[in-house]
Amino acid sequence: MSQTDSPTLVVGIGNPIMGDDGVGVHVLRRLRGNTSPGTNVEFKELSVGGIKLVEEILDYKTVFIIDSIESAPVGSINEFSPEQFNGTYHETAPHDVNFITALELYRKLQKDRIPERIRIFTVGIHNEWFFKEDLTPPIQAAASRLSELLINELSRREGRI
Amino acid sequence: MKTVTINPVTRLEGHGKISIFLNDEGNVENAYFQVPELRGFEKFCEGRLVEEMPDITSRICGVCPEAHHIASTKALDAVFHVDPPPAAKKLRELLYSAFFVADHITHFYVLAGADFVVGPKAPKSERNILGVIAKVGLDVGTSVITHRSDALQVIAMIGGKRIHPTCGVPGGLSKAIIEEERSKIETIARSEVEFAKSSLKLFEEVVLKNQDYTNLIKSDAYQSKTYYMGTVDDQNRVNFYDGKIRVVDPEGREFERFAAADYQQHIAEHVEPWTYLKFPYLRKIGWKGLVGGNDSGIYKATPLARLNVAEGMATPAAEEEYKRMYETLGGKPVHSTLATHWARLVELLYASERMLELSKDTDITNPNVRTIPTHTPDEGVGAVEAPRGTLIHHYKTDQNGIVRAVNLIVATTNNHAAISMSIKRAAEGVIKKGDVSDGVLNMVEMAFRAYDPCYACATHTLPGQMPLDIKIYAKNGAVIRNLRRP
Repeated sequence: MSQTDSPTLVVGIGNPIMGDDGVGVHVLRRLRGNTSPGTNVEFKELSVGGIKLVEEILDYKTVFIIDSIESAPVGSINEFSPEQFNGTYHETAPHDVNFITALELYRKLQKDRIPERIRIFTVGIHNEWFFKEDLTPPIQAAASRLSELLINELSRREGRI
Repeated sequence: MKTVTINPVTRLEGHGKISIFLNDEGNVENAYFQVPELRGFEKFCEGRLVEEMPDITSRICGVCPEAHHIASTKALDAVFHVDPPPAAKKLRELLYSAFFVADHITHFYVLAGADFVVGPKAPKSERNILGVIAKVGLDVGTSVITHRSDALQVIAMIGGKRIHPTCGVPGGLSKAIIEEERSKIETIARSEVEFAKSSLKLFEEVVLKNQDYTNLIKSDAYQSKTYYMGTVDDQNRVNFYDGKIRVVDPEGREFERFAAADYQQHIAEHVEPWTYLKFPYLRKIGWKGLVGGNDSGIYKATPLARLNVAEGMATPAAEEEYKRMYETLGGKPVHSTLATHWARLVELLYASERMLELSKDTDITNPNVRTIPTHTPDEGVGAVEAPRGTLIHHYKTDQNGIVRAVNLIVATTNNHAAISMSIKRAAEGVIKKGDVSDGVLNMVEMAFRAYDPCYACATHTLPGQMPLDIKIYAKNGAVIRNLRRP
């Protein structure tokens, strides 16, 4: 697959059995349920970060990543580019490198495989670290808003969804 | 546009915390490692269909979902009293060997490599995988990510997905592989064997030929004398997928050897009020606090522990490297925490060779990969060696296969006490007169990093990584240094 004809990739990140942590996966499932057959969009549910996340987005031209964050107001929706996530960029993590370092690694080694455009959509959460499969009401509402926003965005890009 | 400093990954994680307390002279008085996340995963599983467990348990870790998936699938075999056909066992082990290859490559090159290739006291901005690539060159870097990716491709061929495989069912696998896939896996395995050999050569060039590093490996700050645990085959050779759990004492003598199903007779768990993570110990010796030696039930279950426990490796090139490691380090057992990196590379070679052996076995394309269970489910234990140590899943169900009780002892939990002790010892060895500079603290972290601990997995709360807080306290309780690793 060359990047030119690659589908838009939508990645929902989170742990689907950790409550609001899994909001990225919940939003992705809504988008997938609203996608018409033949639409040039692919969906991936992932519970990973760092190198594994970068490996999953290689060779796509445009990637939307949906994730939750704890450093924004609960229920708020934000969009970031990877360049804005530069705070912990050059530190070695005890168990993996962070997403940005992993992205930089692949930029050095396989630049042509890095997506031209990575858009990161986040929902602010306060995770209480309970095991459960559903979302709290404010995050449920935010998931609905973000799903609608992304359906419109993908429809605009693809002509339909 | 606002600028925000956020790592989109770290918010997923739990965090570990190292607290180091200094005395009036600025030397280490005490050091603790804490894992503050709540548990509760076992409770979450109760009431589920037991067949869901391989998929549910693989969600507790984004780093080693394959280990949980296979341990869980083996537990299902036991719950349903079913023996998988030979092809299924071989394919599971093949997938598992590929997983070890990917995981050990990542740890050595991406996580540990910087400490040796770039240097333990190098500037923080260089002490990472990018610094490693700058030193070893782009070709080696490309080879690292290619071989890691190829191993994941093998996992996808057998397991259905590169991450979170879905192939495990009680009595075998959900699908077989065809000759075209077998042939592709064989090609990949051949290349992995060569890459593993070149990794050991790199280790020799960069680490073993550097007197400072060999002194560091042998230094008192990184010694930790405990019992060791690992899974061995019937000839006491390392086996990741199946066998008996063997324990040797700090002198390397066999202490016990048991079936995973009997783990509760041999392993007990101690609880401390200051951490949510339990401390497993050898039941026959007992819990004597965070101390090592023959009289303390603390053991390690790490790559080095597995090699200490075994009497050799089951593949030829790995066996040679195994012997060389012990000859170089003065015989068995080796107690140096930093030697774990070397042991991990010997295991990388074993996993690669085992991949190749299994991929050449024509039986693995046999379409008979499942024995359909016919017994009423009740209770079962499944165990494997995860890259970080012994992993045990234990399930009890009712007659309808509904989960009634779950107990997991994960690799990092086994090593909790040993990690705590290693951190303290390293801190005592390198922090002198209040010098808590970044380079010094990294040398404390090196003791921690050698275990490649996965506390997300150990507390069952999170899908993978774990930021680390390090706080240094003066005698009066004031925090004099606070670091946070992503």
